Amino acid sequence: MSLLSTSHLSLSIGEHRILSDISFSVDSGEIIGLIGPNGSGKTTLFNVLSGFLKPSTGTIHLHGEDITTLSPAKRARFGIGRVFQNFGIFRDMTLFENVLVALEALSKEERALKGDLRKVSMETLEMVGLQSHAHTKAGSLSGGQMRLLEIARTLMSGKELFLLDEPTAGVSPKLTQQVADLILQLKKQGKTVLVVEHDLPFIGRICDRVIVMDVGKVVLTGKPNEVKQSKGLRELYFGADPTT
Amino acid sequence: MAFVWHLVILIGTWLPGALTYTMIFGKGKILHFGPLGVSLMTSYATFLTLGATGSYPIAVLTGLGSAIAISAVFAWLSLRLEPDGFGIMSIAVHLSVLSVVLNWSSLTRGALGIPRLPRAPFPASQEGFALVMVVMCIVWVLGMWLLDRSSFGRKIAALAEHEWHSAALGVSRARVHFLAFMVGALGALFGTLPYHHYIGLLHPNDYQFPGLIFFVMLVVAGKPGSVFGVTISTILLVLLKELLRFVPLPPDILGPVRLILFGVILFAAVWYRRDTLFPKQRTV
Repeated sequence: MSLLSTSHLSLSIGEHRILSDISFSVDSGEIIGLIGPNGSGKTTLFNVLSGFLKPSTGTIHLHGEDITTLSPAKRARFGIGRVFQNFGIFRDMTLFENVLVALEALSKEERALKGDLRKVSMETLEMVGLQSHAHTKAGSLSGGQMRLLEIARTLMSGKELFLLDEPTAGVSPKLTQQVADLILQLKKQGKTVLVVEHDLPFIGRICDRVIVMDVGKVVLTGKPNEVKQSKGLRELYFGADPTT
Repeated sequence: MAFVWHLVILIGTWLPGALTYTMIFGKGKILHFGPLGVSLMTSYATFLTLGATGSYPIAVLTGLGSAIAISAVFAWLSLRLEPDGFGIMSIAVHLSVLSVVLNWSSLTRGALGIPRLPRAPFPASQEGFALVMVVMCIVWVLGMWLLDRSSFGRKIAALAEHEWHSAALGVSRARVHFLAFMVGALGALFGTLPYHHYIGLLHPNDYQFPGLIFFVMLVVAGKPGSVFGVTISTILLVLLKELLRFVPLPPDILGPVRLILFGVILFAAVWYRRDTLFPKQRTV
């Protein structure tokens, strides 16, 4: 049974059709890349999957359970972790508090499994080399450090499915590699990742499968190499070749 | 010395409400302008029950129940409305409760208020009562400080900074808002009961608009969300309010002058904290 499946998901706002008949499924342990031009509906799809937007039609199943009507907080407790396109950290809190608040939001059983949450928070910061900044305000970090903190915080929360929205945007090549390592580490732990990215080499390095979206529809799916070779993708990003 | 005890008691009656209000309005950045509406309902429910039954425990339980009921209404509205819409609605709820109190004269005596309230089981002497208030305030400040540093404090701060990011972590906005307003209900109860016990009178004038302005001023001047900042601002501003009584001006001039002065203080405090007072608008 697949971990996540969507069936005929559509979203309309007023007369505008934002998402159209999106159906796909994701197995446990897969890393799926979600690509497409700006405005193709990738972030909107993430907002629907994580519960911030209600689909006009269609259903979402996680672990076989229908989660279409659950609130974002309930979906998070059900196992969906999200990294946002902008920096989703709390700038007025310290780094330590940023991680701690995520752990404290887990269900009672998950918190019990984690043990000492303060210790886990510090270990999370150590994992990304930010332990020396533990008690400084997160707002004082660089963009790359904020991104690392956010990803590490989401990963340590023990979710099953991670929705990462442009995790390498505004990040140096060195940190991009660190982010790739963190995602591959998740795969080793059997976790599932959906990642929206514009960095196609990055997608090619880490993903098992790629879903290509355009104007709110899924237009192409396949292994990274197959998608990369496809004429459809080139046309989507660079337009039709006038010589052919 | 009696005046010093009087000041201590007054500070003690303002502090619980101010500290719970800073948790909601200051730390949680929930645009709630109805704390006096909660206090008004709590005090009338308590003292009307006391008048009818003569039993303090029953009266306090009724007051607590009504504080919880109206706070639950505020919490529910805060979840259903946009922040600015809730701000306006909270004023509307406060004014609605006030108009019921003013117009249901057969029950509340309307604008006459209720004099000669039965004495609560507090020490009879002013010094003894002041000491009870000091102990209560120390316990309250410590309790609020612990709450501020607890998981709840972090969750309400996270929601204030970014609702979507908090929800994506699993922070339940409904649960946090309800808890915050319930703490507010307790603050209303522990503030209003000793106050009316002390002055022996329950009067709707104590719950008019200037009272709300004073509440907001305590929080904004003391630094929204700061337990110790608001404690200090409450002490200083209550002292200022009481000491202004000694200014040699006729009462019909002194009242408006005091209002103007508080308006200027509030304006200055809002201006000084304009970057941190209200939630930042962020997109996803």
